[in-house]
Amino acid sequence: MRRVAVTGLGLVSPLGHVAEEAFGAARAGKSAIHRLDVPFAGRLVSPLAATVQFDAAEHFELPRQRMLDRVSQFALVAARRALADSDAGFSAAERSRTGVFIGTGMGGINTIDEGYQTLYGEESDRIKPFMIFMGMYNAPAAWIGIEHGFSGPNLTYSTACSSSAVAIGEAWLKLAHGDLDLAVAGGAEAPLSLGSLKAWEALRTVASVDALDASTSCKPFSKDRSGMVLGEGAAVLVLESWERAVARGAFIHGELIGYGLTTDTGHITQPTVAGQAAAMRAALQSAAIDASAVDAINAHGTGTRANDGVETAAIKDVFGERAPFIPISATKALHGHLLGATAALEVVLSLLAMQHSVALPTMNLQVPDPDCDLDYVPNAAREGLAIRTMLSNSFAFGGTNAVLALRAAP
Amino acid sequence: MTETYDWLCTMLVAEYKIDPSRLVLDTPLEDLGIDSLGMAELLFNVEDEFGITLPPEPVDLPTLAHVVRFIDALILTRKAGQDASAAALPEHSANGAGTLKPDPT
Repeated sequence: MRRVAVTGLGLVSPLGHVAEEAFGAARAGKSAIHRLDVPFAGRLVSPLAATVQFDAAEHFELPRQRMLDRVSQFALVAARRALADSDAGFSAAERSRTGVFIGTGMGGINTIDEGYQTLYGEESDRIKPFMIFMGMYNAPAAWIGIEHGFSGPNLTYSTACSSSAVAIGEAWLKLAHGDLDLAVAGGAEAPLSLGSLKAWEALRTVASVDALDASTSCKPFSKDRSGMVLGEGAAVLVLESWERAVARGAFIHGELIGYGLTTDTGHITQPTVAGQAAAMRAALQSAAIDASAVDAINAHGTGTRANDGVETAAIKDVFGERAPFIPISATKALHGHLLGATAALEVVLSLLAMQHSVALPTMNLQVPDPDCDLDYVPNAAREGLAIRTMLSNSFAFGGTNAVLALRAAP
Repeated sequence: MTETYDWLCTMLVAEYKIDPSRLVLDTPLEDLGIDSLGMAELLFNVEDEFGITLPPEPVDLPTLAHVVRFIDALILTRKAGQDASAAALPEHSANGAGTLKPDPT
């Protein structure tokens, strides 16, 4: 197995568009969650989201912009930023062997929503001609390949909330096995259409609006947690073989060292301790490290009743007596749940947390829950920690549990 | 023809960001950056603008001149249909949308 370096980070995120800026906001506990100010907000029971500041016209010429769903716009801009950060200097031959691996849970849902509004809401048959390729799930990855001429494998992973963990993990496998030297991997999501928001509300997984401060509505691992808050954005990494990165003197943000993937088969949405624990163990095994080597964990930590207790039990199952001493960060309290993009954003934040020797805070954890009794770094970042190795957990509806193992750059 | 051509030119400059000096009737649309997708979008907008319905079959419109002639022919067909309807019916019932296809009734 070859070593894999992360040499580029690119974001379009609710916490900021520069990785260090987003990390700084997370470190300071500054939440991007807010009341949604949209024309249809009155139709939402819980009008909350973590949105991005994004003007497509700043990034795309009009004819191209009309061809891109918001999710593809996010993916393209995040990829541009990651590639600029990496400055990898792709040769033509390398472009032909560079892969694109993107996760998305809901694809071009805005386009689909708009098309159905035309069809059913307005009872018009005037569906716009671009609806198919704007709405298709593989559009974000395809556009990245087109824009940069990356003609290696171009793959889209849609495993709900673990989509981008799977995308990064599968890209890591390709590089680790020597099939590729370079890959662009991450996730994109733009799930804030009315149809999508109402569907999530109908499932009763969305947090209630905190009466005092809407920005604190997502409360992972807290007894008073009431659900998740949707976020939008994209996060993209440039993955590079360690040899290539070192040879060209690249700045290495960190190293991907393992990837565990398991599936819960008992239920379409209910997580299991066994499945989550097995994914963490699989990540450790693939990284060839012992559980004792893990210094910190980025939790899936959605703030839902179902996840947080199960995840706590799974961490205890894997780490045993050490579990209470491992700092666990649930950053979704700050950036929301970006579904198919969330794992990639959390990997970016985790890599920077290791670089800066910080455990990021789990905000809004005010009421202890007997079922969530580990060290979640409550309400304030913990500075000055030597964090060399982390796990980043992502667990999804559909049962796909994906865990990435990360190591700090030397 | 002039009205159609003017509308097309205005649209191509505004929506496709094409340099007006390049808008010559015989210029291949592909050279203007209008590929098959651009053409699909353009024809969708044409339907909206002129109240006509294009046939579902693919059409070969390599230049701006071809597009203009194609649109104008459809407009003429629609007008002829409206005139015939107006003559046949006691009250005018055309809804403004024409079609190349024969009326099924």
